[in-house]
Amino acid sequence: MNGVHDLGGLHGFGPVVAEADEPVFHAEWERRAFALTLAAGFLGEWNIDMSRWAREQMPPARYLAASYYEHWLWGLEHLLVERGLLTREELEARVAVLRRGEAR
Amino acid sequence: MRVLAVADVGRMILKGGSARVHEPLAARFAPGDRVIAKNVNPVGHTRLPRYVRGRRGVVARDHGVFVFPDTHAAGLGRKPQHVYSVRFAARDLWGPDASPRDAIYVDLWDDYLDPEGDR
Repeated sequence: MNGVHDLGGLHGFGPVVAEADEPVFHAEWERRAFALTLAAGFLGEWNIDMSRWAREQMPPARYLAASYYEHWLWGLEHLLVERGLLTREELEARVAVLRRGEAR
Repeated sequence: MRVLAVADVGRMILKGGSARVHEPLAARFAPGDRVIAKNVNPVGHTRLPRYVRGRRGVVARDHGVFVFPDTHAAGLGRKPQHVYSVRFAARDLWGPDASPRDAIYVDLWDDYLDPEGDR
C-alpha cells in the first residue's frame, strides 16, 4: 500500500534527534499498549504482518499526527473489532467510562 | 483460541518470534548480482519501499529464507523465500545532488527483485 507510513525520501519532518538515556516507554499507557498488543497477539487470531498491515490502515492525516504507540493501539483496536473479539460499541462505551473518571 | 498465561509470559517473550524459515530453498541471486527492484504498487501490505521501486541495486548478502510479509499479511500463506540485503547507490535513488559515496542497504524479498538483465 502506498501509504503515509512509507516515509523514505520525504522532506519537512525535521531531523531525527536521539534522546540521551532514552526510556523504553515514555508514558505508562505506552507500556500497557505494548503489553496488550503482545498478549492479544498470543490469541493466534492474526500474525505480525497482519498487525503491521492493520497499523498502515490508520487514516493518513491521523497517522502522521500520532505517535508510535498510538499506531500500535489503533492497529490493535482495528484487529480486535475486525475479528469480532470486541465491538466498536464496547470499545466506545469503555472509553466513555474512562473519560468520566469512573474507572482506572 | 490460545490465551497467554501469566506464568508463560517471561518464557514466551524471551523466545521471541523469528520470521526465519528453515527450508533449504535455492537462492535466485548471489552477492554481487545486479538487480532491479520491481515497480509495483500493491494495495495490501508490502515491505518494498517506494523509493527503491524501479531502481538498480547490487545484492550485498543473502540473509537466508524468511516468511513473505505480503502474502502472510493477507492470510495467503507464508510463501518462504530468500531475503537479500541490496545496496542502492544514493545517486541512483536521489539523483546527481546526492553524495557519490553514500549508499543505502535495503532488505528485500526475492519476489521484489528482477535480474538486471531483464531490461
